[in-house]
Amino acid sequence: MRMLKTTLNYIAFLVAGSFLVSCAAGEDDTGLEYSPQMYHATSYEPLTQIVDEDAGNWLDSNDEDGHGEFYNSNPYNPYKMTMREPVPNTVRRGQPLPYRYTVDDLEAAALVESPIPADDADVIAQGKELYESYCQHCHGAKGEGDGKVAEAYAGVANLKGAAYVELSEGYIFHVITYGRNLMGAHGSQVSPEDRWRIARYVKELQKK
Amino acid sequence: MIPNKEFQKISSTFIHTEFNPILHLCEFDFKPLKYMSKKVTDLTKKVLISVFSYLLVSVVFAQEISSDEAVIAAGEATFKANCTQCHQVHKKVIGPALANVYDRQSVEWLIPWIQNSQKVIASGDEYAVALYEEYNKTQMTSYPGSVDDIMGILAYIKAETEKGPPVEEVAVAAADGAEGDSVSSSYLTAIIIILVVVLLLALVALVIAVNTLTKYLKEKKDLGEEEEELVNQSFDLMATLKSNSFIGAVVFVFTLLVLKTLIDGAFTIGVQTGYQPTQPIAFSHKIHAGQYEIDCQYCHTGVRKSKSANIPSPNICMNCHTQVKSESEEIQKIYAAIDYDPSTQTYGTNTKPIEWVRVHNLPDLAYFNHSQHVAVAEIECQTCHGPIEEMEVVYQYSNLTMGWCINCHRDTDVNTKGNEYYNELVKLHSERSKEPMKVEDIGGLECAKCHY
Repeated sequence: MRMLKTTLNYIAFLVAGSFLVSCAAGEDDTGLEYSPQMYHATSYEPLTQIVDEDAGNWLDSNDEDGHGEFYNSNPYNPYKMTMREPVPNTVRRGQPLPYRYTVDDLEAAALVESPIPADDADVIAQGKELYESYCQHCHGAKGEGDGKVAEAYAGVANLKGAAYVELSEGYIFHVITYGRNLMGAHGSQVSPEDRWRIARYVKELQKK
Repeated sequence: MIPNKEFQKISSTFIHTEFNPILHLCEFDFKPLKYMSKKVTDLTKKVLISVFSYLLVSVVFAQEISSDEAVIAAGEATFKANCTQCHQVHKKVIGPALANVYDRQSVEWLIPWIQNSQKVIASGDEYAVALYEEYNKTQMTSYPGSVDDIMGILAYIKAETEKGPPVEEVAVAAADGAEGDSVSSSYLTAIIIILVVVLLLALVALVIAVNTLTKYLKEKKDLGEEEEELVNQSFDLMATLKSNSFIGAVVFVFTLLVLKTLIDGAFTIGVQTGYQPTQPIAFSHKIHAGQYEIDCQYCHTGVRKSKSANIPSPNICMNCHTQVKSESEEIQKIYAAIDYDPSTQTYGTNTKPIEWVRVHNLPDLAYFNHSQHVAVAEIECQTCHGPIEEMEVVYQYSNLTMGWCINCHRDTDVNTKGNEYYNELVKLHSERSKEPMKVEDIGGLECAKCHY
């Protein structure tokens, strides 16, 4: 009888222990949250949102809003998304005027002059840094189309190829913006100023 | 010889006469001459043309596609420098696959085509026009190099065509590798099994030895009292289990273990280290950031500019995945989300968001800014996010507790190099202390720096 009791005690200890261990996060479990209201913002957050209206019902502090404590989605947006695209045809404050040329205006775009003055000393270093972030994995450190991604992605341009060395900065800017042939459009990733910096750096790279 | 003009004059003088012997005479006399002179010019022309075209043809035919290794190597370099952005030998990229191209068209057709394809199309060449239409009127960039360079390219293409597509080799190599692996692992299992068997045999042998020895000792009559006690000793399990000292020891050990788990468990409350949620698309940072060395900033575009690093939008995926692995199940999920049809390469309007699961979630009460840490302090992403480039599925590496933030702010020197903003602060700091300026020294531990 006593033996059984001891065994039961052991089991109880083990169960208690395993419950405590399960407080930790892992796999799909965030673990036990201390004051969960702090983790789940009730305000609209662009990069995190809870669509489930019942989420956090168990500690609801506001009975009148008709949803759980954690729900923070905007029912009026498509898919209740809180992240929105900028309004079309608007310009962010402090930004240069938008680039008006469309994909097909390559010839006209090639004639556009870079707004960066030719004697800007920092632009090459900045352009190099940007090139390393946005271009190098395909076009390679020296621009020879031998980046790591080019192994899997056929058709990366060798920027020192005969057809490319004579291209203007405006042309490079346009191609970064809209892409060309197999290259995707990078206009959404790289700001216009940064695109001009990269274009200047590519011209520098081609001289080497 | 009378020139033709004069003959015309003569004939026109007599043209109104119904019958004129002179005219007849003239006709009779001059016609053969006229005919002959025409014949002679035609003949010269023909001869000249044929000689010229013979020369032209012989020049072109003199350049058969070389199989000389030096030419092939030079051609490979030219090909990789100028053609690979649109062409592969065995695969259609933007332009057609080039294997056997010299059989599809003759060399004398290919050379002007490579030099200026638009000119060939404009000349109305049927094959050229059909090709242009087939590839959605994509202009082939004119190649400005010499005919020798083009012949080099063709030599390389021919050499590659004869080699055949490289895919099979890769598959064979992979199969070899797999076989090698399975051989070595089965070898290992065999060794382990043999070891276990040997150990079991040794154990059995030992038990037998102990039994024989005990039996032998029991049969002996001349043992001392102590020795007899040792031999006849019997192990009472129940008595040991019930003894107070045993229960006491067990209780002590368990209390310690429970306390340890309790404290450890309490420290994990609200700390999400190790959180590794399953994402809707099995994106691998190991492949993208590790194998292909794509910079973090390429996708997480906000990291140097804003508070948050940003979840990349699918258009960034599509910079590569219009081509790369387009048949993969996971990539199909991107296509479904953005309503992209890979066969026609068009986008529809039936889009829906991809619901990624957030891994790092700093509570609302703390302010954190990526750009300050990445652009100004130039901290590597890995310092906080761990070996992301090795993670198949991302997990939370750091614990993101306040203590963790504070420790780093105490230990880290402010990156003041080339940043004028810090000039005055550095001056003030160096007046008071000889230690390098830490984040702590410029208010990195102030409550309101992060909590407001």
